[in-house]
Amino acid sequence: MTFSAALVTIIALGVVAWALARGKAAAFAGGPRPHSRPGHHGWYVALWAGVPALIFLIAWSVSMPGLVSSETLSAPAAAQLPADPMERSAVMAEVRGLASGEMAAGFHPASEQLAPVYRSATTRYGWIGFGIAALLGLAGGAYAWFRLTPSFRARTAVERVVMIALIAASLIAIVTTIGIVFSLLFESLRFFAKVSPIEFLFGTTWSPQTAIRADQVGSSGAFGAVPLFWGTIFIGAIIAMIVAIPLGLMSAIYLTQYAPATARKWLKPILEMLAGVPTVVYGYFAALTVAPALRSFAVTVGIPGASSESALAAGLVMGIMIIPFVSSMADDSIAAVPQSMRDGSLAMGATTSETIRKVLVPAALPGVVGGVLLAVSRAIGETMIVVMAAGLAANLTANPFASVTTVTTQIVQLLTGDQEFDSAKTLAAFALGLVLFLVTLLLNIVALGVVKKYREAYD
Amino acid sequence: MTDPVATPPAPAEAPERRPTDWKGNVMQRRIARRYAAERRFHAMGLGAVLLSVGFLAFLLVTMIGNGASGFRRTEVLVPVDFAHASIRLDPASFRGPGRDAALAAADFEGVLFESAQQKFGGGSFKLLSEGAWLAVRNKVADNPDILKGQAAIWVPASSAIDRAAKSGAADADLDRVRKVTEVRTSFDLSFLTGADSTDPTMVGVWGAFKGSLLTMLVTLALAFPVGVLSALYLEEYAPRNRWTDLIEVSINNLAAVPSIIFGLLGLAVFLNTMNLPRSAPIVGGLTLALMTMPVIVIAGRNAIKAVPPSIRDAALGIGASRVQVVFHHVLPLALPGILTGTIIGMARALGETAPLLMIGMRAFVSAPPGGLTDPATVLPVQIFLWSDEVSKGFVEKTSAAIIVLLVFLMAMNGLAIYLRNRFERRW
Repeated sequence: MTFSAALVTIIALGVVAWALARGKAAAFAGGPRPHSRPGHHGWYVALWAGVPALIFLIAWSVSMPGLVSSETLSAPAAAQLPADPMERSAVMAEVRGLASGEMAAGFHPASEQLAPVYRSATTRYGWIGFGIAALLGLAGGAYAWFRLTPSFRARTAVERVVMIALIAASLIAIVTTIGIVFSLLFESLRFFAKVSPIEFLFGTTWSPQTAIRADQVGSSGAFGAVPLFWGTIFIGAIIAMIVAIPLGLMSAIYLTQYAPATARKWLKPILEMLAGVPTVVYGYFAALTVAPALRSFAVTVGIPGASSESALAAGLVMGIMIIPFVSSMADDSIAAVPQSMRDGSLAMGATTSETIRKVLVPAALPGVVGGVLLAVSRAIGETMIVVMAAGLAANLTANPFASVTTVTTQIVQLLTGDQEFDSAKTLAAFALGLVLFLVTLLLNIVALGVVKKYREAYD
Repeated sequence: MTDPVATPPAPAEAPERRPTDWKGNVMQRRIARRYAAERRFHAMGLGAVLLSVGFLAFLLVTMIGNGASGFRRTEVLVPVDFAHASIRLDPASFRGPGRDAALAAADFEGVLFESAQQKFGGGSFKLLSEGAWLAVRNKVADNPDILKGQAAIWVPASSAIDRAAKSGAADADLDRVRKVTEVRTSFDLSFLTGADSTDPTMVGVWGAFKGSLLTMLVTLALAFPVGVLSALYLEEYAPRNRWTDLIEVSINNLAAVPSIIFGLLGLAVFLNTMNLPRSAPIVGGLTLALMTMPVIVIAGRNAIKAVPPSIRDAALGIGASRVQVVFHHVLPLALPGILTGTIIGMARALGETAPLLMIGMRAFVSAPPGGLTDPATVLPVQIFLWSDEVSKGFVEKTSAAIIVLLVFLMAMNGLAIYLRNRFERRW
């Protein structure tokens, strides 16, 4: 019995229970006035018939592979399997493939013998699970069925379940946050057991390629992440912001203060499209069009160290991507400045631009700064543009035409190679992820705090 | 009425002030300077907007310029002589129940090679695409009777000839082919219906697109109910205490966490702890759902907040329970706003690449995925993979795939704007 067939059966059981119970409750109408509407009685029975069975089914489907594997491994043919757990799991993967029909033949001779055992165990456990789930559903449905009376408070019971579902849904955000923190922290601790945190945070050599044999050159790898941090800041917080802040701020000023209503209506969504273009498209554009153009420019001018993958190409394109964020934050905070301040300045005889420069922008500055911090946080977490356009060389350089690498680029590089999961190289990606998470979290908290504090000033 | 230029009584020691000479040269120059600064500032604002819009236009024009030719393919007419081929194929075996097995077993590649050698002479292999024999197979599958004689079949040309034919550049091989047979460049349906391949003339986006659809399906099925339910809880029921503050803070933070961190979470939790299959749409969908959920919650809360309290009061007043108030009145009224937010969140998820690279969706997948647990790739990742290919023919294919992706994103965003305009209500 497959999981999906069992699922459909349980759901069908719930639907039948709903219809029957609704019918029974509808018949209460002649007697004393019932507490709940027939629909609530229907839902009450359906929930009792469906929910316990579903919970059991999910728990069973999680634990079933383990049960099936242990039964397969206790079969006589499994005695000839290698003792090494890695090879054992490789053979078990073959057995699984053979049993499901995805593979035509296994490499290990034992896998052919074990496949029928595996298949029959799967079938048997599947039926056992389905049987228990069906019994649970029937028992739950029957229990609820016999409680239905005109005075039964079905609505209260059903609404309690709805509230539990609502609370559970809102807890998922916390669970996800905890999941992020713990998965990053756990793997990072394993990394810091191999590499000292001081070397990681303050070392200036990054070369995660570890040789396969211990006696080769570079067998230990170097995990000094300072060049990565510098590259990230150089691209995301310096070059991108040099592009994004003036363009975003001036766009916001033009759209709020100067543009006629129709122009604003059209230009604002067009500007927002810049934020909707997928980053892989920006990355491709940066690598294909912008980077070669910048390189040939640098070569013509005679700048040394010009690379076809440059910090400038990635930073420029990233800055363009960030424009809508800066402009919409600036837009909001300029709009929050009281009209009386603007009117007062204009009444004194100041021109519009003087009013903007001397009154509106200073008054809106905290909001603008908050927006810029959020934009920086977004820029340093951005991955695809830098993966495709910034390069892999960990350089500590301030030359924008040279290739630099960033934290996100290295995370992608470290985790998409073919290396076993426990090496310092793959674990380093999680340590980098932890640093990235903490820095963006800090930036977001500070930015939101600044924006919030500022907004309250004029209330 | 007082004189506007009259000064208040000055302290005795201050020098005597004369009225400002507004018409004087100094003042006129100063005003002119200020007006010039005003015009400059105005022009700078307009320039910033135009520069940003111009960049978007440049990006789109570049992509369309590079990618438009990716939807077209050059084909060569090759006469295939089945009757005199060294490998004899029996038309009867390509009919009836054994058809698929016979098609798979027959050596169409050899037949085509032989015919191409006869027509073009030596080195004919580099003139035709690696998958050119598939065109022969399809032709035979449609009509096995051609096996009795000779048939002229359009087969895709090699990537080099394809590029030469599209660009109009002089190419020795292209001229050689043109001398002996016909060459045409036409709209290529197989780009929209095919899957990934190592040969740029044979690639298609359908495999990646189907992967995207399956992934989005999982994302929507998880993120939408959870997002709506938690938005309802936070806006309608939640008491103001430390717990709900914690929930709120974590939702706001999740919306700002870099997407690659979600990829690390997916890798550590779904793949390494829960042992779900690598490269599968279900894992991609789970990962993207965690990312999309906060977006839906934030949009949903705004939509729910916009429903006026009088509606709730009226429903409560005639005896509805609080759950009935929310599910019968508030939710239907807030739904257009929630849907708009959901579509925007889904559009963001559709364009996401980095988290999916982390969970192994960068594998080479040559067939469209059949289900949620099959290896699959998605459109943005396919674009990333093609952008890494050395073969020059992939440049136009990458841009063409980008056009497909952008068309879908714009359609989704357009739908969101339409919904907002259609259902927006002022209370």
